Amino acid sequence: MFIVDCDCHNYWCSATVLEPYMEGLFKDMFVRGERTGPRGAFPHGHRPWFHPEGFARHDVNPVEEDDNYLIMKEKHLDKYNIDVAILTGDEPIEASTLANPYYANALCKAYNDYMIDYWLPKDDRFWGSIVVAPQDPHLAAAEIRRVGGHPRVVQVLVSHGASRPYGDPFYHPIYEACAEMGLPFAMHLGGQGGINANPVGAGPSTFFWETHAILPQTAMTHMASLIAHGVFEKWPSLKVVIIECGVAWVPSVLWRLDANYKALRKETPWLKRLPSEYFKDHIRLSTQPLEQPENIQHLWATLEAMDGENTLMFASDYPHWDYDDVNKLHVPPAWREKIFGLNALDVYTRLPRAAAQAAE
Amino acid sequence: MTTKHFACKADEVPQDAAKIVNVSNVPIGVFRLEDGFHALLNICPHKGAALCEGPVCGTTKQTDATEFVYDRAGEIVRCAWHGWEFDIRSGEFLVDPSVKTRRFDVSVEGSDLYVHI
Repeated sequence: MFIVDCDCHNYWCSATVLEPYMEGLFKDMFVRGERTGPRGAFPHGHRPWFHPEGFARHDVNPVEEDDNYLIMKEKHLDKYNIDVAILTGDEPIEASTLANPYYANALCKAYNDYMIDYWLPKDDRFWGSIVVAPQDPHLAAAEIRRVGGHPRVVQVLVSHGASRPYGDPFYHPIYEACAEMGLPFAMHLGGQGGINANPVGAGPSTFFWETHAILPQTAMTHMASLIAHGVFEKWPSLKVVIIECGVAWVPSVLWRLDANYKALRKETPWLKRLPSEYFKDHIRLSTQPLEQPENIQHLWATLEAMDGENTLMFASDYPHWDYDDVNKLHVPPAWREKIFGLNALDVYTRLPRAAAQAAE
Repeated sequence: MTTKHFACKADEVPQDAAKIVNVSNVPIGVFRLEDGFHALLNICPHKGAALCEGPVCGTTKQTDATEFVYDRAGEIVRCAWHGWEFDIRSGEFLVDPSVKTRRFDVSVEGSDLYVHI
């Protein structure tokens, strides 16, 4: 079976790997300036919830920088016969939390150059996400145009924590650039600190596990906003990927959006179709962490209601604490080929289809 | 009917982590607790991960008040992937004891440690 892992984290041991890719003021800030933690920490506004055990799996313990790839290759890529790994970085999406958009943009540029230079050549299975800092959409758009033409770059990535809902016209320069470069726009769970002050509704929750379970709230807001603001009417080729935000909430939000739209469509006269129709054509969700009800039929009915056969894409989240492995993914057997690989080919159009045929 | 298999030297088993061994193709974690050695199957009943490669630690005791009573230090192993907590002596998952990983008897002869599979 052809397997695309849509969320494979290329870690570093220390953010100092970015130093050679920075210059001038922002290099000084990066080397000598204050940061979130000791030397080697990536500058960001941290969320107010700390994972009680740390994020990484305890059987993944790199010491040298090159260990990050070697361990990934052994414990993930080779072990599960992954054909394509979409690299999603790790800390760089946290640049979205910084108040200074120029510094945030410089950090993203350094990361993108490092990712293209260090990670992409390491393995034929690697395809890259370029990270942008959405708090200045014009700078983000310029960065998408600067590196988005690289043939092994397949998506634009931001954190799902944001200063405002992603459908807001404030962000539209980003989608203009994505459409121009032929790249999907992806948001990954994260960025719940700093200027992204509203990651959960009703104010800050208390415990990590409690909070982690409700963080998809933010993704619901983004999904509704992208549809309501007509992003998919303005850029009909645009795909949006929601990564690591859960999936079982999607049908209930779509049902509500459709019901409200039928009564109050006059608020958004630019829309031509039901919200759920925009969803099915334009939005994809990564599976991990897939909800785990006692009765699997309850989940499968929900997935069917969101056309999961066509809207879900496999992701492992390697090497995080809530990793999903290929052999244990509880999706309907008849959908496996699509969810594990074929759906991703429709989103990441730079992936060669021949690779999928060769894997069959 | 179990058979005794050599696993490792007893002094190879650390205090604060498992010694991971492969005995007749069975992956096993051997632990050293105050009351002696214990062995668990190194496969998590949740998702098949290397359970015994996670941290050996304690956990909070269930209470009726908002208090944090740290208990059972060194008697719990957290699965390396998803952090499910298991009792090293019984192999039982703390949240649902009906979920358990296999445990094996251990014996020591001289400096040699054996597991009974």
